Amino acid sequence: MKKILFLAIVLCSAVSVAQGKFEQGMGKAMQAWKEGKPDDAVALLERIAIAEPTQWLPDYYVAFITTLASFESRDQEQNARRFVRAQNALDAALMKTGENDELHVLQALLYTARIVADPMTNGMTYSPKVMEHYNKALAINPENPRAVFGKAEFEINSARFFGKDISGMCGEVRRSITLFEKEKPSGFMPSWGRDRAAEVLKNCK
Amino acid sequence: MVRWLLFFLAFPVAAQTTISGTVTAAGKPVPDANVVLEGSYDGGLTDTNGAFAFQTSETGSYTLLVIAGGFETFRKSITLPCDPLQIQLKADGTLLDAVVINAGSFEAGEKARASVLKPLDIVTTAGSAGNIIAALQTLPGSQVAGEDGRLFVRGGEAGETQTFVDGLRVAQPYGPIINNIPARGRFSPFLFSGIAFSTGGFSAEYGEALSGVLLLNTRDEELEEKTDISLMSVGVGIGHTLKREKQSLSVNLSYIDLAPYQVAIPQNIKWNRPFRSASGEAVYRRHFENMLWKVYGAFEATTFDVDRESINEPVRSRVDLQNANFYFNSSLQGRAGAWDWFAGTGYGFADNKINLFSGEVNNSEHSLHVKAKANRRLFGKVRLLTGLEYFATTFREQFQDAEQAAMTGFTSNLMAAFTETEWIVSRTVSLRSGVRFSFENQTANATLDPRISLGWKPAKEHQISFAYGNFHQLPSADFLKFANQYGVQNEEAEHFILNYTFNKNKRTLRGEFYYKNYDNLLRFDSPFAPETFRNDGRGYAAGFDLFWRDNASIRNLEYWVSYSLIDTRRRYRDFPVEATPAFNAKHTASLVTKYWVESLRSQIGITYTVASGRPFTNPNQSGFLQGRTPAFNNVSIGWAYLIDQQKILYFSASNVFNSANVFGYEYANNPGSDGVFQRREIIPTADRFFFIGFFWTISDDKKSNQLNTL
Repeated sequence: MKKILFLAIVLCSAVSVAQGKFEQGMGKAMQAWKEGKPDDAVALLERIAIAEPTQWLPDYYVAFITTLASFESRDQEQNARRFVRAQNALDAALMKTGENDELHVLQALLYTARIVADPMTNGMTYSPKVMEHYNKALAINPENPRAVFGKAEFEINSARFFGKDISGMCGEVRRSITLFEKEKPSGFMPSWGRDRAAEVLKNCK
Repeated sequence: MVRWLLFFLAFPVAAQTTISGTVTAAGKPVPDANVVLEGSYDGGLTDTNGAFAFQTSETGSYTLLVIAGGFETFRKSITLPCDPLQIQLKADGTLLDAVVINAGSFEAGEKARASVLKPLDIVTTAGSAGNIIAALQTLPGSQVAGEDGRLFVRGGEAGETQTFVDGLRVAQPYGPIINNIPARGRFSPFLFSGIAFSTGGFSAEYGEALSGVLLLNTRDEELEEKTDISLMSVGVGIGHTLKREKQSLSVNLSYIDLAPYQVAIPQNIKWNRPFRSASGEAVYRRHFENMLWKVYGAFEATTFDVDRESINEPVRSRVDLQNANFYFNSSLQGRAGAWDWFAGTGYGFADNKINLFSGEVNNSEHSLHVKAKANRRLFGKVRLLTGLEYFATTFREQFQDAEQAAMTGFTSNLMAAFTETEWIVSRTVSLRSGVRFSFENQTANATLDPRISLGWKPAKEHQISFAYGNFHQLPSADFLKFANQYGVQNEEAEHFILNYTFNKNKRTLRGEFYYKNYDNLLRFDSPFAPETFRNDGRGYAAGFDLFWRDNASIRNLEYWVSYSLIDTRRRYRDFPVEATPAFNAKHTASLVTKYWVESLRSQIGITYTVASGRPFTNPNQSGFLQGRTPAFNNVSIGWAYLIDQQKILYFSASNVFNSANVFGYEYANNPGSDGVFQRREIIPTADRFFFIGFFWTISDDKKSNQLNTL
């Protein structure tokens, strides 16, 4: 009896450890990222991604954090490597889960990053692709706030260049904020974007 | 009890093993490498010294992975706990190609040889007016032959450079050329995603070219559905792209009529009916799971009618030309196991009707190309390419005048096989060697052409390459039609090339020395005397090409400078002595600039080309091809203004400073009463060319425009 009880405890705790391990690992990675250590976060996420063949979120965050880092760097060579790494991670996530709205949003963001890094070379090629992926994300989930906002922001930036009216697009940014508010964060599902949308709306006239 | 206590005390200690070590590559530490205990979440990043250390509670056997950008992923089985590890990474061989200059072509190693421009470069080069060939003439190694329009590479005739679309030969890449009215390339630049221009030492995959190859690859996919409308001072164009999940179709149609332009701008020749051309191109692509199917088709119909001026004829004689050309190719490429394979076929048809003063010439050429090739990686470092191809050409020509009708023609069948290996010896050295075998029925020539090239990269920004190759080509249809009867043989060239390339932060410097030896060149007393045909001509071309491109130093400015020096002499065709052919200028230089003015939403481009004088024969002095024309100068400007995202206004003008350029002279056959041979200048059909166009793109996302079709 004692033995059985002991085994039960050991097994239960083993199960709970296994369940908690992913959350714990992800939590640790998110913590490192928040503490301003994106390299450590990405390295840990990459390890989790290798260990968890069915979880797409670690790959998603590898791609996301790497893409964000490229926006803040002007080192062309390092950025070229970042784009490869982010695309590989994004492709891996796609293999694990199939297409979904969040992956399309991220793909659009990654193409935007390539345009920002080298507008002369990449502008023509990637602009239509950015729009294509935002549209695909919206086709899957018309209420995805990141897709609504991302598309609007991309359109605002090019309309500004041509001195076009952006009021319609500002309406979309406003709509994205209500969608952000409705959104209920669950686990490690992507929930970023609200602050940035608010900031863009402030300058939207 | 003590034992139990010891056990419990020891347990947590044993549970935390430290794994440490260093990661290096070629003796240097590798920072930011991710060391991963596969399957666990444990691992760490290396520091600037390449050192890492992390703790794990795992025990037993594991695979340790080391992942770092630019290196092959390292794997090693370890048993925990383990001693400090010394890990050496290998550079990722596949990335070696990515850092070689002019990436963008599929041909690894070819990249070091080929100069690749983006399609956007072609179309935004002032003076090119969307003509791929005109833009390539701003690169070193090619001549500026304004009266001809075709590509003359390193002392070779235009026919010595072959054009390939998706790996398949286009036998008639140019529109018609007659009487110093320059030809235009047939290809609209925006259907192509990669354009590689090789001026020598190219892969064994390409044959039947003594001097160069131009490789055009159609886009693998279209980005979006759209309609393009062009209204130009010289004609109209419409294009439409359909895109589905797995397939896409692009069609372009254009009609060019130079009549209004020729009314507005004074012409140097008399047109009875100005140049008119209707043309179209279409590309269809379909993606299958492991395969891509592409179809490319193009047609062009051209007519013009001019009065030809000749110093030997008191009255102008009329030349009326009608040309029809059709080209089609279809190719499949895919992957089967470790092999990447390709199979395709191309067919071209050209028909010319020329009404000359003296009679009518009718000729037609059918050409077929079938090709299959496969390549795979062996042992990770060697790439093996092998393939077979077949060319068939049928040529018929009929000449008719009041007195007689003459018919000539031939059918040529050529079989070729090629194989090539590319060996990445180390991160700094790569070697490519290949051989090409071919057999042709008209000449009964069997040839074996070795090709070898070597790349050495002593540092990241510097590369030195050497190439050697042997090249054979059949003589052109004008002579090949006599091959059976008079024993015409193919011609031969040998290339030696030494190249240095520096590439850093969007700045490229490329210097190249070359020596080209010609042998078995066709000679004759007259092209109309086939009984005098013999393959004992020889020649050489030696020179230096320099190219500098800088996209980084000045914000919003891209520019390149190219310079070519060539020393070439030949004894071929009806040359009585060894001489420099008339299409070669000793010095040629171009400066191409493109400046983006944000406040004007405009791209302004200026192209300046200068070439030293070209040879001509002056019968008033002794010697052959001993005279030199004045230098050639041309400044062209182009201005693209973005009205909004989808509407562009484009203006361009060539020869803005109105330089009086002379391409050569035509001398009278007989001296005048004063004993002097009179001459006539061969000059451009018009001193200047003006162009205004409005380009409008209609698409869903309202973002794209036709900047790249200009």
